[in-house]
Amino acid sequence: MKKFLTVLLVLVMLLGLVSMVSASEAGKLLIWCDETRTPVLAEAGKDFTALYGVPVEVQEVGFADIRSKLTTTAPVGEGADLIIGPHDWIGELIENGLLEPISLFTELRSKFVPVSLEAFTYGGKLYGLPYATEAVALFYNKDLVPEPPATFEELITIAKGLTNREKGEYGFLIQMPDPYHSFPLLSATGGYIFGENPDGTTNPLDVGLANEGAIRGANLLLRLVQEGIEVPGADYQTVTGLFNEGKLAMMIAGPWTLGGIKEAGINYGITKIPTIDGQVAKPFVGVNGFMISTFSENKLLARTFLTEFIATKDIMLKLYEKATRPPAFLPALDEVSANPDIKGIAISAADGIPMPKIPEMASVWGAWSDALELIVNEKLEPDQAMKNAAEQIKKTIMGE
Amino acid sequence: MYRKHSFAGAFIRNLFVWIFIAFAIFPFIWIFSASINSSNTLLGQTIIPKNFTWSHYIEFFTNKQHPFGLWILNSIKVSGITAIFTVILAALGAYAFSRFRFKGRRTGLLSLLLVQMFPQMLAMVAIYLLLLNIGKYISWLGLNHHISLIMVYLGGAMGFNVWLMKGYFDTISYSLEESAMIDGATHFQSFIRIILPLARPILAVIFILQFIGTYSDFILASILLSSKENYTLAVGLRLFITGQYSTRWGAFAAASIIGAFPIMVIFLLLQNQLVSGLTRGGVKE
Amino acid sequence: MKKFLFPISLKIIILGILNALAIWSVIILIFDSHYWMGGILILGVVFINYIFLSEKAYPFRYMVPGLIFLVIMVIYPIFYTIYVSFTNYGTGHILNKEQAIEQFENQVYFPKDSVSYTFQAFKNDSGEIKIILFSPEEEAYLCENKKIIVKVDLSDPRFIDQDKDGIIDQFDNYKKLDKIQTIQRLNELQNLRFKKDEYIIKLTNLTEFKVCNKKYQFDSSLDRLLDLENGKVYHNIEGYFVSEDGERLTPGFRVKIGFQNFTKLIRSQQISGPFLRVFGWTFLWAFLSVITTFALGLTLAIILNDPYLRLRKIYRTLLIVPYSIPFFISCLIWRGFFNTEVGIVNRILNNFFQVIIPWLQDPIWAKVALVVVNLWLGFPYMMIITLGALQSIPSELGEAASIDGASRWQQFKNITFPLLLVSLAPLLIGSFAFNFNNFNVIYLVTQGRPAIPGAGTPAGATDILISYTYRLAFEGVRGNQWGLASAVSLIIFIIVAVISAIGFRYTRSLEEVSKNV
Repeated sequence: MKKFLTVLLVLVMLLGLVSMVSASEAGKLLIWCDETRTPVLAEAGKDFTALYGVPVEVQEVGFADIRSKLTTTAPVGEGADLIIGPHDWIGELIENGLLEPISLFTELRSKFVPVSLEAFTYGGKLYGLPYATEAVALFYNKDLVPEPPATFEELITIAKGLTNREKGEYGFLIQMPDPYHSFPLLSATGGYIFGENPDGTTNPLDVGLANEGAIRGANLLLRLVQEGIEVPGADYQTVTGLFNEGKLAMMIAGPWTLGGIKEAGINYGITKIPTIDGQVAKPFVGVNGFMISTFSENKLLARTFLTEFIATKDIMLKLYEKATRPPAFLPALDEVSANPDIKGIAISAADGIPMPKIPEMASVWGAWSDALELIVNEKLEPDQAMKNAAEQIKKTIMGE
Repeated sequence: MYRKHSFAGAFIRNLFVWIFIAFAIFPFIWIFSASINSSNTLLGQTIIPKNFTWSHYIEFFTNKQHPFGLWILNSIKVSGITAIFTVILAALGAYAFSRFRFKGRRTGLLSLLLVQMFPQMLAMVAIYLLLLNIGKYISWLGLNHHISLIMVYLGGAMGFNVWLMKGYFDTISYSLEESAMIDGATHFQSFIRIILPLARPILAVIFILQFIGTYSDFILASILLSSKENYTLAVGLRLFITGQYSTRWGAFAAASIIGAFPIMVIFLLLQNQLVSGLTRGGVKE
Repeated sequence: MKKFLFPISLKIIILGILNALAIWSVIILIFDSHYWMGGILILGVVFINYIFLSEKAYPFRYMVPGLIFLVIMVIYPIFYTIYVSFTNYGTGHILNKEQAIEQFENQVYFPKDSVSYTFQAFKNDSGEIKIILFSPEEEAYLCENKKIIVKVDLSDPRFIDQDKDGIIDQFDNYKKLDKIQTIQRLNELQNLRFKKDEYIIKLTNLTEFKVCNKKYQFDSSLDRLLDLENGKVYHNIEGYFVSEDGERLTPGFRVKIGFQNFTKLIRSQQISGPFLRVFGWTFLWAFLSVITTFALGLTLAIILNDPYLRLRKIYRTLLIVPYSIPFFISCLIWRGFFNTEVGIVNRILNNFFQVIIPWLQDPIWAKVALVVVNLWLGFPYMMIITLGALQSIPSELGEAASIDGASRWQQFKNITFPLLLVSLAPLLIGSFAFNFNNFNVIYLVTQGRPAIPGAGTPAGATDILISYTYRLAFEGVRGNQWGLASAVSLIIFIIVAVISAIGFRYTRSLEEVSKNV
């Protein structure tokens, strides 16, 4: 009897194994996006279907997996029609022949923040429809810092006053080693990653990470360490954790931290990054947008979805609600610019430079990270570290 | 081999065990702390968070976008079936290697082990393409089905499991089967009736190892499963942690804690099988 | 006698069904040109038949089910990886040649005098579509299925204005499609091509058809791509179409490149420079991982195997907690524990010993931290397998020895431990191999850092061979180089296999020793 039941149990389990499947088909739109955007897209998709009768399916895919998944599945016909992601993905995706150019009428183009369109342009063609811009800014705890600093000198003074490492309190931290977050320090005084050719295209052989401006920025970073402000091991978890517990007065962070900050109930403020030596500290600007796969069977449908439906004030506002980032669509941006969070990020982003998207960027982050780590841990002089990094990047680029 | 201990001996043993239990559980406690912390940080400054909340656990059971409960059930289902069949396949193989002497036995054993050592990086793409093509002809053996996922896991059934089982089988005296076969039993019957019951401990061990291994796999499963209803827990959790600077640690921690229980329960249940002395045959030497 | 006949006929029936299925599948596969799959299927089925029909192959019958899965799911990917290592599969070379050419041939350019037409779509009751194009000069053209457009006069009686509002809503018996209906049929519409003179007209967006031309033409005999707009010629050079003046078209495609990946690895300064140092640490790391986890697992297993120890089942269950939590979150928690500034380890050390250790910033301490984390992650596995192996050791041996006056420690050293080693040695070697390639833990806890000062090598102090080389393959200039990564996998496999084979030779002698038990 026992044996019979066991066999029955196994059979039942086996029967339960058959289940449903879904993939990209004609006449239907399949969108991939990460878990923060799925609810909003799902709703928007339903609206689109109600209006036009075209089914829209939204699949949640982990942010870091979207690119590799598209690369593996699109050429065999299993990829999505549309994906959502940041603009620095397009270099790699275009090299792989995965993105379809999008053409917009001039009238529609004028409704977007110019830098957002520029971010998605490659080789003269537009490859994505932007919807949100983001940049890092200075986040501060209003209870600890009533008036945010306007210059970096002020920031250092305030930070020193608030730092008490014995008690576990900190005045200011930048997560390290992180090129993205610390770029404003370098860019203010003239550092850059890749220079530009006279015709406006990027010149990957002109690496500006070791020029005078960049080294000044690196020295500033060292100064933060030597003054006891920046501490070793301050990674993303640590920095945001401390801020959310009220133990950190100021940090350079992006809008993705807002969810946690709000839930922790911190009285926070956002403003632009203080000037360095009187010059504007330019952060990287990231732009999020929709991209169309070249292997989609519904390219025109996808493009119509974007131009007729997404690029409207209502939908852009809906997307904004969940994203807490400044919309790239001007009519929507105007409507929400009163929101202090948005104002803070938008002000910071207005000074920003789009993140470079050429495939050569991959080799940059690693060497630059290492240099930052060596500086913060005081293992190497800033100018030596940056020069090494620049050398290594040049070698890697030329070695191919 | 074991005798009743002196009080001091027992005390030392217990202390030793407790020290390492503390070592083992300490991170678990922190994860639990993260799961009741409302500010979504992974490592708060204190074990008892300032903002205490059960919301992550509630979310676990009610979140429509992320059906954790369904995912755990999927995980248990897939891991359980994989483990059962792994035990069967490994036992069959181990029996052959243990009881028969044939050409290529040594090499076979060695190759089985060496083959497991190949870095599995590109295996993902290969298997994806394979299942994609098979799925065109037989849909339920293709992508996004639990059956095909289980079959992929079974590829690893004959590996170290065979070695472990073979080692155990080797200690079972052959005389038992000899007498059975004189009485007319076939090899297969003596395998089922004699060897397997005596090998309960090692079968249990292989089951639990395979169960845990399959339960925790997220690489293969996330490539092969594409619809949310089919995800296992490991795949679902991956959605959280690959977000851009994801901060959903509270939910992730709660799901990890709850997800650990099936494993512990199964292990607890299987411990009854870890009985020694079974291989002391019914035949006097 | 009955017992033998029944299984035999059952066996023949099953084999027969299997063969029939196989033949049917092979026919389908060959029909669809999957020659490789068909061939392998034939081989496999022949093999299986032989095994089940020949007496000599009796032992193999037990292994058939497991082997099938092994071959399909493990061996085939290995061959696939080896195949890829001879190609340039990676960023810029994802597509195969046909796909890349298809993309180029689908591209169009708009000639200088290109005309845009607005259009109106009409559909009849059986679903057929006719399109009326309106040129900028207000001429109308009728487009039918034959794809040749025909000029129509606006006063043609087939244009019907049903509600007399000045807008045409019917053509012949075809009703007009409004915007929503047009969008629904976009897929059909986008595939329409109309010919006018030597140009094609196709739908370029929601509201217009445009005159355009195919931009590229592939010439297979000369293996080159011709740009029809400006006459430029692009040759196939290692997976890219490159023109004479060096212009390279995107996308590229994958081609076989022979041993290039391997020579790149061997010649690369970035790899050969730190190779010895990284290899040394990798070996040490794997070795320490095995030794520490086994020592702890073994000790705990012995203690917890004691029937006199109360609550041992609970103890065991608590001790496998590390094994039951997703290792991703565990690694990050440990990383936080070892945080120099705020981590719990340093806080405890500071409180009791007044010392702070720069765990993840110092090369040596980072290695120590990693070994501790791996110990935590790995000892439950060792404990479980040791518990399993312990059950097979007859207790009579121990009893006999203690009667002879041996102490517990002597029993352990001379009886228990050697016996355990016989069954567990291969798994220890396997654990060594696993940790040799265990880049998950390294990546999550230290990312290979801390960085080593000194120009030239991006290898960190805790990088192991595989983490470092994969990083080069995936974070190099050319994006993700799967071909290179495959070559790396192969080379590392050879290294690990050689070390393991040596280890197995050594343990073979152990196997002989215990044969007398």
